[in-house]
Amino acid sequence: MSRTATYHTTVRWKGDHRGHLEMGNGPEYEFSAPPDAHGSAGVFTPEDAYVAAANTCVMMMFLWATERFKLRLLSYECRTEGTKLVELDRTELFTRLHFRPKIRVAGGGEPSPVIEARVRRALQSAQKYSLVANSVKSEIVVEPEIVVEEC
Amino acid sequence: MPEFLETAVDKFIFRVATDRQYGREGVWVQECGVDGQVRLGVSDYVQQRSGDAAFLHVKPVGTRLSSGDEFAEMETIKANVGLVSPVAGQIVEVNKDLDLSPENVNLDPYGKGWVAVVQAADWGTDRVGLLDPAAYLSAMRAQAEEEVGAS
Repeated sequence: MSRTATYHTTVRWKGDHRGHLEMGNGPEYEFSAPPDAHGSAGVFTPEDAYVAAANTCVMMMFLWATERFKLRLLSYECRTEGTKLVELDRTELFTRLHFRPKIRVAGGGEPSPVIEARVRRALQSAQKYSLVANSVKSEIVVEPEIVVEEC
Repeated sequence: MPEFLETAVDKFIFRVATDRQYGREGVWVQECGVDGQVRLGVSDYVQQRSGDAAFLHVKPVGTRLSSGDEFAEMETIKANVGLVSPVAGQIVEVNKDLDLSPENVNLDPYGKGWVAVVQAADWGTDRVGLLDPAAYLSAMRAQAEEEVGAS
């Protein structure tokens, strides 16, 4: 069994503070820096990409976890915020990723607290097993809002 | 509280409780204090290698087992893992707490994460085929090194 896998992207300079990004899985984007960092509005940015990478990865892992934990997911939405710190030497890093998932699951025949506890464990597992979340050095905070609905 | 042998492989640390014996597949066996009754659970290596437990399906009380029979299945976020009994006998108790807290297998594999109690049919014979903690540590370490070295 292979224990490694590789993924790639390609960037090309398009002039000024803009570039073109080709993702290994197909999509292509124009990108720049955010306006507060001498970039342009309305296009993909590395900052968005970093936060999106973690947000999408945790969600995909959570979808897998709901299947393994036998949860009936009704909806999932998560706004994730990355906090940038500018250091004294003007280097910058993301110190924190704050996930606020809103999750609705069906109750089924079990008591709501049992289902909710399982959702929380599925979320913890999603974070633990998310490739991206597991790779970043930012602190990760998850503040879920969980609703168990009797169907 | 049991005492432990400990070994590190790559970035992982594995503990082996010294107050019990082990099957080659990583199921531990501990005398209960009642004549011929033994408690079964999984080693720290098995729980780490299997991933976060979502469900434990243990065969019901009364089930007769031959040595090598599966007595439980652990569904984790990553895999379904069959647990093989290294002793023959009859299941007389299952750990019902695992229904609501399967994570105990991960958090406390040698304590609250025990899986079942078996009335051994011939404990005197079966115990001879089990590994002592040092022998299990050595076998488990070789397994872990082989797996890590496969990258």
